Amino acid sequence: MKKIIIDFFDSRLGIRDILEQNLTKYLLPRNINVWYTLGAVLITLFMIQVATGILLLIYYVPNPEEAFQSVERIMNEVPFGWLMRTLHAVGANVIIIALLLHMLSVMFMASYKKPRELTWVSGFVILNLAFGLCLTGYLLPWSQLSFWATTVATDAAGAIPVVGDELVRFMRGGSMVNEATLGRFFALHVMGMPLLLGGLIGFHLFCVRRSGVSRPPFGAEYESRDYPDHFEHEEHPGGIPFFPNYVIKDSAVICFFLAFFLAIVFFAPNLFFPESAFEPADPFVTPPHIKPEWYFLWAYQTLKIFPSEIIGLGIQGLFMTLLALLPFIDRGPERRPFQRPLFMTCYVLGILLFVAISIWGHYS
Amino acid sequence: MSRADNIAFVLTLFFLLSMPTSLLAEDTVCIECHSGQEERLAAPVAAWRTSIHAANGISCHDCHGGDPTSFAMAMNPENGFLGTPGYEEVPDFCGRCHVGVAKEYMAGAHGKALENGGAQCVVCHGNHAVKKASLDLINEETCTQCHSYERAALIKLSLSETDVMVNKVDKNLERLFRQGIAVDEMKGQLFQQRNRFHSIFHGVDVNLVRQETSGVQGELGKINEQIAAIDVSLNKRKMWGGMTVGLLFFGGIVSMLIRSTYHDEEGH
Repeated sequence: MKKIIIDFFDSRLGIRDILEQNLTKYLLPRNINVWYTLGAVLITLFMIQVATGILLLIYYVPNPEEAFQSVERIMNEVPFGWLMRTLHAVGANVIIIALLLHMLSVMFMASYKKPRELTWVSGFVILNLAFGLCLTGYLLPWSQLSFWATTVATDAAGAIPVVGDELVRFMRGGSMVNEATLGRFFALHVMGMPLLLGGLIGFHLFCVRRSGVSRPPFGAEYESRDYPDHFEHEEHPGGIPFFPNYVIKDSAVICFFLAFFLAIVFFAPNLFFPESAFEPADPFVTPPHIKPEWYFLWAYQTLKIFPSEIIGLGIQGLFMTLLALLPFIDRGPERRPFQRPLFMTCYVLGILLFVAISIWGHYS
Repeated sequence: MSRADNIAFVLTLFFLLSMPTSLLAEDTVCIECHSGQEERLAAPVAAWRTSIHAANGISCHDCHGGDPTSFAMAMNPENGFLGTPGYEEVPDFCGRCHVGVAKEYMAGAHGKALENGGAQCVVCHGNHAVKKASLDLINEETCTQCHSYERAALIKLSLSETDVMVNKVDKNLERLFRQGIAVDEMKGQLFQQRNRFHSIFHGVDVNLVRQETSGVQGELGKINEQIAAIDVSLNKRKMWGGMTVGLLFFGGIVSMLIRSTYHDEEGH
């Protein structure tokens, strides 16, 4: 029966060939390491977000009068609603951890270099879209944290010269965070950004597949090379098959990552959420000690370090620009970390600075 | 900047969150004006900031009346300004909000002795730096200002068990609240019982205290039963969660072992 079905499709679509070319005959570098599994981990996590998000959509009501109660109902009355909501909310944080690890590993191995610039840029946009999804999702429960975090976050855009005030009004749909803000953030969160993200993930994977997996720059056999100006798929003759050899490694890391994720969901579900996340929004009472999520603490503290917000914003913009254009700035063929002392110094100092400023922001 | 940079730049702007801002209770002309006055007039503001009233957003005008939005009309009696109550007026002054407590107090020994200098609210609770109601307010230092401590000590002993129960229920509800459990109804029940409990000892009658606290304990027990049922459910979640995490971990190890079997054919 199985053979009949496969034969039916194979004779019409040539699926055996597709599967061979992309699974068993798709060869990866022999020294491929565990960091390359983060892509598969991220796809799994994004799929969980989509699935739990769709289930939450069944019960969530996107208007200020009912949003908080609907989330409370999901948490307390809907069968397994607490699980869906906690998976979705904690999952957002776990995805950011995985995205940052993925980005840092790519930087360490210089996999962003020619001919993979587009892979890097699309990955960078995916990271920022994930931040955008976190931010828009933050408002939806219409809690005290949601309301005031969004109020202050959108307010910061007002520091931009000339267009600042108009930009704030545009984002909020009025002078204050209100029903219109919830409406547009909801639309962006459940439709606009996921569609864009889906397309970008598709493009990112297409780039990976077309360019070929980059060879890890380690081991005595590794040599730096110049890539030609015309298209060339990087082959790995004598490499290991993607399926089943590497897929099983992907599975192992996915299992470990999910174990870490579910350990938080079941044993520390409020790890990422302060008390104000459980109180309904009250536009007339500002809760004390509002802090951004851990991944935005660096931006929050950067603004406070400088005497003027516009300087802080400028430095953040410059940093993000440098990061986005990294493959076009760091263009040498050398990819071995220890042959790139200047880059590695900046890399380590950059990570330490990010952590230090974030801790400072947390305790400030 | 490229499109990616523009998106990154704009998104970055979203993430900037603020310094904590003051509560609305602080935003009154009373606070604004008195804060800048000489020490005697400014002292109530500093004292109020340490109070349970400030913590709950109860501001000057909530007790003293007046218009908290207008410098000109803030202390105008026509706008409901009451000023400072006399010693004997304090129970009625506080009793506008603390109705049950005032009733018990007036029926008790302290209330009956009010005209003869009997203790009223601020003697034990303080005035602007109003202290949170707790058994610590019944202490030798405070009580012996007016009389011996024996009777007060007996009342405190009778109340202490219930006080521990109230605090335990409160902590448990707070714990559940932090996990997204709907506890509003139970909080309402606790609020009711806490008020009843606080009212009891204002009558300063040992026998009545003993009788009434058993009723409060019974009601607290019912809330405890609800909390216990929720805890059973939460523990079940943890049990299933632990098993799932264990299975995933096991799956990861098995996958790694399978992966190691490919090493020979790969020539490692």
